[in-house]
Formats: sequence, structure tokens, C-alpha cells
Amino acid sequence: MLTRARIEVEVKNCLVRAGTTFRPDQLRAYRNAIRREKNENARWVLEKILENAEIARKNAFPLCDDTGIPHVFLDIGGGVSLPRDWLSAISNGVVQGLRAMPGRPMAVRGNPVERVEQSRGLFVDPGKVSPAPVIVKSVPGDKLKITVLLLGGGPEIRAKTYRVFHKRSIDVVLGEAAEWASSEVRNLGCTPCVPAIGIGRTHVEASVLMVEAMKDGSLSRQNSWEKKVTELINETNVGPLGLGGDTTALGTFIKIGPLRASGIRVVSMRPGCCFEPRKSSVVLG
Amino acid sequence: MICIQTPIGEHEVEKLQIGDQIEISGVIYCGRDAVLPKLVRLIESGDLNRVGVNVEGGVIFHTAVSPAGIGPTSSNKVEIEGSIPALSKAGVRIHIGKGALGSETVEELRKYHSVFAVTPPVSALFSDKIVSRRVAAFREEGMEALYQLEVRGFPAIIAIAHGKTIFGPRQRGG
Repeated sequence: MLTRARIEVEVKNCLVRAGTTFRPDQLRAYRNAIRREKNENARWVLEKILENAEIARKNAFPLCDDTGIPHVFLDIGGGVSLPRDWLSAISNGVVQGLRAMPGRPMAVRGNPVERVEQSRGLFVDPGKVSPAPVIVKSVPGDKLKITVLLLGGGPEIRAKTYRVFHKRSIDVVLGEAAEWASSEVRNLGCTPCVPAIGIGRTHVEASVLMVEAMKDGSLSRQNSWEKKVTELINETNVGPLGLGGDTTALGTFIKIGPLRASGIRVVSMRPGCCFEPRKSSVVLG
Repeated sequence: MICIQTPIGEHEVEKLQIGDQIEISGVIYCGRDAVLPKLVRLIESGDLNRVGVNVEGGVIFHTAVSPAGIGPTSSNKVEIEGSIPALSKAGVRIHIGKGALGSETVEELRKYHSVFAVTPPVSALFSDKIVSRRVAAFREEGMEALYQLEVRGFPAIIAIAHGKTIFGPRQRGG
């Protein structure tokens, strides 16, 4: 039977891994991009990002000083046995992970209005950066899969959730999402990006699907629609850090949920920065 | 690769062209949204020396400084881009950040013999380039205080110099 202590330590380790290491699919995508990229300055940026990943792994240091807002995604098997108060064990694991990494101490102090106006300063403790509401999905089996994702601030400025008149065409829907991404990557700064797109019935559902796309997506496993969105964004020639070149997007993750009889689809698009998705999973039980 | 040692002379800046890859060694200052307007007010009131800050021939990196490291924030935010003319006039030779700047700023940089460089948000790599760090002023701003860093081989690319910019026209919302 899973214990609270085990859950805490696994969540802590997941968070630190997510913030300090590149996964094999990211390393492969960057190496391929460096090989293909013809713009010398663009290649310089891509090489620095790989060098950064190597130092971050070696020193267990954050990939980026914006260590992001923790998001926890749980795939819960119907047969798994969980200890009492297991959700608070997950929260404790997040706090411990933020202190260990360390996360950037960027939680805003004060009452609701003071927080909006940022008038009472920041907490010194990185553990005060509380996670976003936990996302839970029921799956077959007797395991608990915990995924910790760290969502940086830059892509949040450039993300968008809105309705699209689909005209009964996936090309129309994804074309519009690619257009949103293309117009925003010019201002993102931290390119190459990895956009995540969720398509659902409501704004909440589309946003959750967008996070799920980040959770499940791999840069080594891209379907034809994901490749198409990536190609459309790369046609902008914004390039790494906005310096031009062919590598504006490294890949795209798309998740389509249940849909309703309607002329519109709700689409959530988050461009994702050069280190994203920063994620790590563990399967327990 | 061009190696630059601070303090930087005007003649050295004249040689830098957009697209040049540089590595900076020596003392640099770090500040962003909260502290740069305060620094400008100190310059305007003539009190800069009183707090022991010397920006002559200097470098300002647009970043917070925290246990999670350093990394460029968007330089086209109002408080940051707005500080560039006064800081250039006071002697800052290289501003480092990310994102395109407006045409007025491109012109002000030219007028005061300063350049703008960009660098990727490679915080782990930067941590290897930092020799020492201390709060230089405005400690109350926490991670957004003005920090003085000694760095060795800090990497960047010249993005705006002598009225030329590596970026296309700036998009709305930058």
C-alpha cells in the first residue's frame, strides 16, 4: 500500500527533475535542429540551450530562473489503494520540491487586493508558490501516475483560449490556432517554442486538454497534424530568441476531447518556451 | 567571438555590430522592472555616487537575481525600456535582455553610444559564469533589487547597434 511519505518524496523528486533536466526527446529535437539550422546566430542560441541543459543536469540547477507554477496531473487507476489525506501529501511534496530545486521565490504576499497590486512584496520561501488546482483523470488499472509540470510566465502572457468557428474542418481549427501562435512567438522571446493545443467544449475543458497534451506529448512522436502546426509556425522565420532562422517551433502537442453539436470549438493554445514542457512523471502502486 | 572587459570604452562600442557574438567579463549590474526606474531617479537627482553605484562604461542585465539564478526578462516592458535612454546617457554601454525594442529606443542608443544585446534564458549556464554577487542598492526589492555581479565569459549577441536592429518591425503588444 502506498504511504503518504512515499507520495511526498516522489512528488518532490518529480518536481526537481522537471525543473532541472531535459528529457531524451528534447535533447534529440535540439540536436536535430542544430544540424538543420542554417542561421549562424540561431544555431548559437540552440547550442547554448543544450549547453545549459548539460550544466543544469550536472549541477542539479534550474534550467531557467523562472521556475514556473507547479501543475500536478494525476492518472488514477480504479484499483489503486491510496492512504488517508493523500492529496495533502502531494501538496507537501510540491513544497519540498520547490525548496530543494530551489524554485524562484515569487509568491505574492497579502490579501486578495494586495496580491493583485503586489503592494506587500514577496515571500522569501520558494515553497509558498502554491500549485495550480490538481487535475485528476480516471484510468483503468491499479496504478497512480503523478506528473508534475512547471509552467513558466512568458508563455502565459502569450497563451489564448477562445472559440473557433470550425466550418467542419480540422484545417480551419488548427490553422487558426497556428495563426495565434505565429502572431505571439514574435513577442515571446524564449523561442524555439513548443505549443500545446487543447480542443474541447468549454474554456475549462480546453485548458485542461492543453495541459494533458503537454503531459502526454513527445517531440519524438509527432502526428501529421502536429507536424503541420509546427511547419506553419516555422514559416514565420522568427527563429530562436527572435534572431531569425528555421527553428521557431520544435514541435506541437495537440489533444482533442469530447465535443458537442455546435458550429464552434473552444481552443486553448499555449505557445510553450524553449525549455517546455518541463515535466516529470512517476507511476506508483 | 569578441571578448569584452568592463568598464567598456566608447571606442570599443563603436566596433560592435549587430549579430556579433560577445562574452563579457568583469562587473555587471542586474535590475529589472522595479529597480531601473529608481536608478534613473538617482541619476536625475545626482545621488548615484552616494549609493556607491558607478555605471560609467557599465553593463546592465535585465534580470531578477534569486537562488534560482538569473535569466533575461522582456526588455520591452515600459519600466525597463523607459530606463534605457537615461542609463545610456549616464554611461551604460551595453544593455542585455530579450525581445525587440522600439525605434525611439534604437535612436537613443545610437545617440548615447550604447548597444542592446540579447541572450537566451540559460540560467544554469549563467550560474557557471558568476564569480561573485552582492546587493548594490534597493535591498527592499528582494529578488528585484539592484545586484552587482562579477562574471567571467557571459555570453550574448548584439541585437541593436548604431541605429540598426536585428529584429523586424515590432508587433503590437510587445
